[in-house]
Amino acid sequence: MKKVLLAILSLVMACGIGIAAVGCADNTSSDATGTIIVVSREDGSGTRSAFIELTGIETDEDGDRTISSAMITNSTNMVLTTVADAVNAIGYVSMGSLNDQVKALSVDGVAATADNVLAGTYKLARPFNIAYKTGTTNEIRDDFIKYIYSDQGQAIVTQENYIAIPEGDDQRTGSYTSPGNLSGSITVGGSSSVSPLMEKLIEAYEALNSGVTINLQTSDSTAGMSGAAEGTFDIGMASRDLRETELANLTGMAIAQDGIAVVVNPSNSLSDIEMTMICNIYIGQVTTWEQVKGESAE
Amino acid sequence: MTEEVLQDGKEIKRQIKVDPKELIMKIVFIIAAVVFIAAVVTICVFIFVQAVPALKEIGLFNFLFSSEWDPDVEGTGGGSYGIATMIVGSIYITAGALIVGVPIGFLTAVFMARYCPRPLYKVMKPMTNILAGIPSIVYGYFGVRVIVPFIRDTFGGYGYSILSASLVLGIMILPTIISVSENAIRAVPKSYYEGALALGATKERAIFRTEVPAAKSGIVTSIILGLGRVIGETMAVVMLCGNQTEFPDSILDGVRTMTANIVLELGYAEGLHRGALIATAAVLFVFILIITLLVSLIRKKAK
Amino acid sequence: MTETVLIGQEPELQPEVDVSKIVPINRQSFGDKLRAYAKKPFSMILMLLVMLAALVTAAIVIFIVVYTLAQGIPNLKGALFAWNYNSDNVSMTYAIINTLFLAGMTIVIAAPIGVFAAIFMVEYAKSTNIFVKIVRMAAETLSGIPSIVFGIFGMIFFVGVLGWGYSMLAGIFTMVLMTLPLIMRTTEEALLAVPDSFREGSFALGAGKLRTIFVIILPSAMSGIISGIILAIGRVVGETAALIYTGGSSRRLAGGFMQSGATLAIHMYLLANEGLHVGEAWATAVVLIVLVVVINGLAEFVGNKLKKEY
Repeated sequence: MKKVLLAILSLVMACGIGIAAVGCADNTSSDATGTIIVVSREDGSGTRSAFIELTGIETDEDGDRTISSAMITNSTNMVLTTVADAVNAIGYVSMGSLNDQVKALSVDGVAATADNVLAGTYKLARPFNIAYKTGTTNEIRDDFIKYIYSDQGQAIVTQENYIAIPEGDDQRTGSYTSPGNLSGSITVGGSSSVSPLMEKLIEAYEALNSGVTINLQTSDSTAGMSGAAEGTFDIGMASRDLRETELANLTGMAIAQDGIAVVVNPSNSLSDIEMTMICNIYIGQVTTWEQVKGESAE
Repeated sequence: MTEEVLQDGKEIKRQIKVDPKELIMKIVFIIAAVVFIAAVVTICVFIFVQAVPALKEIGLFNFLFSSEWDPDVEGTGGGSYGIATMIVGSIYITAGALIVGVPIGFLTAVFMARYCPRPLYKVMKPMTNILAGIPSIVYGYFGVRVIVPFIRDTFGGYGYSILSASLVLGIMILPTIISVSENAIRAVPKSYYEGALALGATKERAIFRTEVPAAKSGIVTSIILGLGRVIGETMAVVMLCGNQTEFPDSILDGVRTMTANIVLELGYAEGLHRGALIATAAVLFVFILIITLLVSLIRKKAK
Repeated sequence: MTETVLIGQEPELQPEVDVSKIVPINRQSFGDKLRAYAKKPFSMILMLLVMLAALVTAAIVIFIVVYTLAQGIPNLKGALFAWNYNSDNVSMTYAIINTLFLAGMTIVIAAPIGVFAAIFMVEYAKSTNIFVKIVRMAAETLSGIPSIVFGIFGMIFFVGVLGWGYSMLAGIFTMVLMTLPLIMRTTEEALLAVPDSFREGSFALGAGKLRTIFVIILPSAMSGIISGIILAIGRVVGETAALIYTGGSSRRLAGGFMQSGATLAIHMYLLANEGLHVGEAWATAVVLIVLVVVINGLAEFVGNKLKKEY
């Protein structure tokens, strides 16, 4: 008995030392083989919601069919980190968050670029929506929304690698000039995907309207919409289409378009993927990279 | 002379009469103590009151023993709320963390209490204190960058797994186990050790056969405190455990713990979903109550 | 053994013996130890395991600290401490100030309650009292509650029921609940450590109970109390889970109790979350760890320093 215990003890310690000894494990640059590591986001995420809708993972009959063995992370960064570290991983992130440690796949032969989203050829795109409670008025809020749709506001959208509302669209408000007399504060809250863009917009807006303070609360799309409906947020942000239940008492509008990039490890030899394949991976019908590549080669 | 004595007598009597200041402050002290009871009761009431309607709708049995967690995010009705996989996840990760943390922590405590030379102790003690001071979120990122890739490259699988979470949490509970166990061992009268040595025992025999049994209750308390910390740990776990709502097949599979479930979904949950998350917190609360009871039972036994 | 001279071996016959070479009879040389271990292999294994465990612990600490420093220090730039936060410099100045404000206000509220409750428990109540038992049970439960449960409660009660919204106030009160048991327990220990003779002496000199407590006992126990309070500050500074849903995540300088502001730990969490500022997040982690370690070190220092004075 004692000896068994001792053996376990030494094993555990060996583990401990092993971990203590390991530094930054070098990424082996071998190609992805074997089981796919499927990385998804939490249910309330707008990115996930848009992704499962566009790829057909979500159907009217069965709802969200994402396999329950998919790894769930609660942030874009965790998806990026996982995919950058794990050769076998696949994930999806907002196009604005892409970095050089992951590789964005082209979908159905169309590269994941802002231009292709604008042209409508890259299908994995979703709107960045803002919404406020229908029937309420707020001078600062309305002026801020006017700013977002102005030439200056939409220039920031483009500059941050998102797709602006096309010029000549009805929503565009032309060049913005500050009314100059506004003061007070409002709260904007919701999607963590929209937050980086919103932060830039707020900074630029506050520079023009020194009396105004806009607070930004980052959580997720669903929280943003319910917060706007409850009055916690003056403006809610969502990185997906608004649901009918939400539109019952919210007025929503798109402020930009964003692509969703399907990302894999840079050492993965795959560079293009079909929409149906994405779906099959996420619902668990395709589980290995051999299957993916075999099909792609055909 | 007699007058003075009388005067003194009066003085004493006046002192014995309760000074209003004394009374007021005593009441203030009592109120401060009552705050503790009020806090626990309020937390209990608000969590259980919000949990009960959800539990009624889901069914307590269903909630605890169903493995289907499919929240109704779209607000269309339906959805299933079973936290069996998460209870299992919490238990696995807790057990794993204890398997990693307890042996290392306990033996280090023995080292600190009985082997460590004075100059080395002055280095070791602050080092374990640093371990206690690192915020759990930093442990989380450390795990993601170091432990997870290591596990993935060595053993395969996702990397985000019971094993990774257990290792990081095992490290997190080290300072608790070390300091409480060390104090317990130090509190054993020196005569136990000396007596054993005088009877011809080796140093190890003296420590492990006489001192450790004498310090048993303190050591067990340290383990239970560590256990409480692991069950309640949130930010590090949610980054490391993979968060799948499935029963794991091996320690290389991911699971979701109760705490991870709450922190993942609380931000956007509404209606029944929100109720189900609060009910998850209630279950967690009951776990902690059981642990607290265990600790006080052990203390009573030790006395 | 040849060189050692045992005490009591007719020292007067050998007056020229070098005293420095006198070794107590019970001291074992290294060789003795080895021989003893050779006879008892199990003891040796245990000894080796103990050494190994200590080594592992030390290695883990050094590795984590060095790793974090290596990741963070290269990213530690002056811009991170610029006064105004914006999305380019991701300055942590506001977050540091928010953290200090939140921690400070938490202590202002929690310290008196915790200390007073401890005074009641130690100085007034008898330990057999049922009320005392309930309070002790409550404190122990409170100290065991996971921070996320505090977070959920804060969200329901302070943010929702009391209508404070995501605000400093909601964060502060959640943190008060979290730190109360810690402050009470350390204060209790400090009070118990004050010898009874202090109380008896004070009463004998005619001081009342209140006077005894505030003039005699509290100053004597101050070191323990202060180190407990500092530990509580350390806990607030490192907290994330309970504050996300109460204190909120606004990167502003919280201008008042009703405004939301991210603390340093939440600031780090937000920085890392979108994957845009991971390096800066590690730099924040370094600042965070340094802050917590300094705070804890301060607690220890204060505890030791003041103890020596009386």
